[in-house]
Formats: sequence, structure tokens, C-alpha cells
Amino acid sequence: MIDPFIQAALLMTTPILLAAIGGLVNRIGGLVNIGLESMMLAGALVAVEVSAATGSVIAALAAAALIGGLIGLSMSLVVTRLQANEIIVGLGFSVAVAGLVRFVLKSAYGVSGTFNPPGVAMLPRINIPFVSDIPVLGAILSGQDGLTWFAWAMVPATAFLLHRTRAGLRLRATGAAEATVRAVGLSPLSIRDASTVFAGAMAGLAGAHLSIGVVGLFNEGITGGRGFIALAAFYFGRSAPWRTALGALLFGLFDAAQIRLQGHGAPAELVQMLPYLIVIIVLTGLGLADRSRVSERALS
Amino acid sequence: MGVAMLPALSRAAGVAAPFALAVVIGAIVLAATGHEPLGVYGLMASEAFGGERRIAATLTAATPLLLTGLAAAVAFRSGIFNVGAEGCFYLGGMVAAVLGFALGDWPSVLLIPVALVGAAIVGGLWLVGPGVLRARLGVDEVVTTLMLNFIAVDLTSWLVNGPLLARGSANSATAPIAVGAELPRLLPPTTLHLGFVISLALVALYGLWSRFTVAGFRSRIVGLNARFSRAVGIHVSSTFLRMMVLSGLIGGLAGGIHALGLVHRFVAGFSPGYGFTGIAIALLGRNSALGIILAAIVFGALSSAGATMQLFSDVPIEIVEIMQGAVMIFAVAKFGFGQARGARA
Repeated sequence: MIDPFIQAALLMTTPILLAAIGGLVNRIGGLVNIGLESMMLAGALVAVEVSAATGSVIAALAAAALIGGLIGLSMSLVVTRLQANEIIVGLGFSVAVAGLVRFVLKSAYGVSGTFNPPGVAMLPRINIPFVSDIPVLGAILSGQDGLTWFAWAMVPATAFLLHRTRAGLRLRATGAAEATVRAVGLSPLSIRDASTVFAGAMAGLAGAHLSIGVVGLFNEGITGGRGFIALAAFYFGRSAPWRTALGALLFGLFDAAQIRLQGHGAPAELVQMLPYLIVIIVLTGLGLADRSRVSERALS
Repeated sequence: MGVAMLPALSRAAGVAAPFALAVVIGAIVLAATGHEPLGVYGLMASEAFGGERRIAATLTAATPLLLTGLAAAVAFRSGIFNVGAEGCFYLGGMVAAVLGFALGDWPSVLLIPVALVGAAIVGGLWLVGPGVLRARLGVDEVVTTLMLNFIAVDLTSWLVNGPLLARGSANSATAPIAVGAELPRLLPPTTLHLGFVISLALVALYGLWSRFTVAGFRSRIVGLNARFSRAVGIHVSSTFLRMMVLSGLIGGLAGGIHALGLVHRFVAGFSPGYGFTGIAIALLGRNSALGIILAAIVFGALSSAGATMQLFSDVPIEIVEIMQGAVMIFAVAKFGFGQARGARA
């Protein structure tokens, strides 16, 4: 009874987690990425196209990461080189890429909304013998796809890279003290661009997970605002990898619960809005905590 | 005289450049997919402005954008990054539609103002939260207002699927409003309605307010330099809150006018992103009244042309979305001169 739900929740966590880690790295590098949704959408479409054309999952994932990275790069260049506001540019990319994707569907494949080519190779699920028979633990560890393992492996990897390596230090400095980075002869703008390319590639993989990991086709609504949920996850996690993963897991649970509720006539829309509401509550709590810290300092 | 022309010229170029780039990007997409860009643009121009009926359709499409553009401009000029007009639009539309149905036996002269004021109030109240959070706790209003948009969409979609679903209706919609609640049509065969005049008047009023009143000046100074404003004794955080709520009032009103003037009920998916397009309009129009009007008409033309173009050609309507997104992206980009601040490292 609980096992299918755990499976579903973990499955829905993966795309949110992938995009959230990308967005987290991007934010630490000094750019709040509102365009994750657009990179996810493009990744989902390209993964289906390449998977159907080549039958290779690896090629599909590479193509999805590539298109996400390319969109990330173009978005980043507008922000860093033309000094455009990242929020507006991100929203602009969400509008333009959604339009472009639908335009391509209609004019290249003659379909509107759903693209379901024959021969889409799906991400294989990894079944672990013996473990799969254990209740709960089996549902958690066995039967997941490679991207889910990758997403969770990226959590400690990101924490390590950010805090224990030179590249991580440079990235953190780019976000926190741009002038310092310039003073030691590095280009903060290029570092920031690289972090956006990374975020785009991760969001592209997130899209690929939705299309060739979950449903096996492309639909224009496939991302369903998950790029913005990913944004909510790294705001929830205050840009710390493990806290962000916790947020992604929480929102994945909501997503799975919401899909369940739809079948029972329960108000799925109200569950859908929970992640957004939680972010506002978390931000309010942080604001209150900041204020009391400031007033304590003023008193002492 | 000649010197005074220069900034005006560079401002005009600043407005034209994003649009020109969007046209170029659209042309590339069209050419790459085997369409003839010039022919498509010619068709779009005649669909948007060729004849009285087409112009009326363009102005109808511009109506919600005038007000969502105004909602964004009011906030932006005070340095508040409110991206929450979309949510206000949904809630305002829903409230006006419900009042227009529930108070259907009231006379029009009473019913319409009450429904519109109700829509505006709900829109204003919706942004009190982010306004207070920004003013008192310094919480980033971009994130809170963005999140509130999704909440508003989900909340209204729950309401029209549940408690407010019209009896006997299978799709997610409220009951139609009473005939007395409908805004009068201006050119009867076309859908152009009184809402256009109301919206235009409000934008003009904003132009006067921002230029000639103390409050208008003060709100701009706060946007230009909050620390200076504090130093000269302007209450910055209460200005933030006031402008945020004003922006929400206008966003809610925009939704109310859209419900009473055009849709005549509230449906799920009420706005195709008018609130977000409004952001592009405010930026493109540099927060000025005239700029907002021109930009709203340009975006109105794009969407009215896109809607009918599909009937006469095989060009997908989404070309309009691509161009709208591109305008938004380039409206905030700085071209040429401006980047001598050592930003190129």
C-alpha cells in the first residue's frame, strides 16, 4: 500500500531535485534562474525526439542536457553581458521557449499539444535483487532509474564541490564578492555564465526525466510549473544542497499526493499550491529571524 | 533645441530596439521553418490594422494589457519589483464575475461599479502580504509575488471546479454574468467595450499623477534612490506598501474589466499571461503613460493578428508568443554605450 506511493513520490522528486540543484549552483554564482521551466521544457522535447530517432537513452540525455545548457548560456549572456534584469529575462525565456516549442510541434510534426513518436526508448529502471523484496526499503532503493540515482548523488557532490574545492570557492566568491574575484584576475561574468550553463543542463535532464523517464511522450504541459517548484525548493533550502533536497522531496511528495487525489475527486489544486505557499512561509520566517537577530545586536 | 532632441531620440531607439530584435528573431524562426517572413509580417500588419474592425479587435486585445502594464509601471517606478499582477488579474476577474452573477438584479449603474471596485479591492488585498513583508522584513518581493501568482491560479481553478462551478456546466467556469453587468460595446459588431476607454483614462490619469502631483514625484524619488528619500524625510517603507497595494488594485481591476467586458464569466485559464505581458509593456514603455499605451497597442496587435492569422495561413499562432518573449528579454537589455562601468571583466 505504502510502497507504490513511495515509488511515485521519489519518481516525482527527481525532476524537481535535478533542476533545483542546477538553480542552487546558479544562485550561489549570483544569478536567480527564473528560466528553469523553459530549459526543462526544451529538454523534455529534445529527449523524446532523439530517443525516438536513435533509440539511445544516452544520446537522448546528452541532447537534453545540451539544449538546456544552450538556452542557459543564451539567457546568461543577456544577463551578464547586456546587464539585463535576470527576473524579466527569465520570464521572457519562459514565454518565448514555450511558444517556440509549440511552434516547432505544429510546424515540424504537424501536431498540437502532444508529440508521441513511435520507438521512444525509456530510461531503464534498475532493479536490485533481494532488496526489492524488502518493504519500504525496496521501494526506495530498487526500481529507480539512473537519473534518480544521479540526482541524489549530486546532492553530496554539490555540497563537496561548493565547500571543499577551488572551483566551489570561486563560484561562491562570484556570487558574494564579485570585485574580489575580479581583483585576483578571474572573470566573474564567465564563472556566472558557466553556472547558468550547468543549471540549464540540469534542467534539461529534469525535462528528459519527465518525458523519457515517466510518461514516454512529450506534452506541452509536461513540466507543469516544476521549474518554478524547483525555484521554490532552493529558496526553501536557502541554497544549501541537503536542505534543498529535502524541499524537493517534500514537493515530490505533494506532487505524488496530488496525482493520487485527482482520482478521488479531492481538491488537487489546493495540494498543488502548497509548495508556493510553503516558500512564502519560509521566507517570512527567515525575515522574522533576521529582524530579531538585528534587534538583539542593537540591544547588546 | 537640437541638444534637447538627443535624449528623446535615444529613448525612441531604446524602445524600438527590443521590438526590432524580436522581429528579426521571429523572421529567423519563420524562415527556418519554411515560411516567408515578409509575407507573414505583411499579413500580420493587415490583420492587426487593416480596417475598422481589425483595429477594433486590436484595441480590444490591448485593453487588459493597458492596465496590467500600468500595474507593473506603478510598482516599478517606486523600485518595487512586483511580478504579481497575473494573480491579481485572476482574482479580480473571478470576483467581478461572481458579483456580476450574484447581484444580477441590480441596475447596471450600481452593479458595474460595485463589481469592478470589488475586483480592485481583492487585487489590492492580495498584495498586502508581499508589501508588508518587503516594507517591514525586507523579504524579496519578486519571489513572494511570483509564488502568489501560482497560488491565485490554483485557488481560482479550485473554486471554479468546485464551489463556484456553474450548475450543469461540465467545464471549469462560473455561471455567466447578468446582462446588466456587461460593459457596453462601443462599436456593436466588434467586441471593443467600454473597458478600453476606462483603461485608457486610467493610464492618462497616471501620466498626470506621476508628473504633476507630490505623491507621484515622491514615489519616483523613492524608486530612484531609497537612501536619499529616507534622508530627506520620505517614509520609504510606507511608500513601498502603498505602491504595492495600488499595483494590486489596478491588476484586480484589469481582471474585473476583462470579465465584465469580454469573457462575461470566469473560466479556468482566464488569462494567457496578461500580467507577465504587462511587465514587458511597462519596461518597453519606460513606465511613461504614452509608452504604456503604445506598447500595449503593439502587443494587442500581435495577439489579435496571431488569433486570426491562423485561419488564413499555416503559420502557427505561437510565433506571437516567441516575439512577445523576445521583446521582454531585450526590453531590459542595455545596448551600446552604457557598459563602461568595468562590468566587462
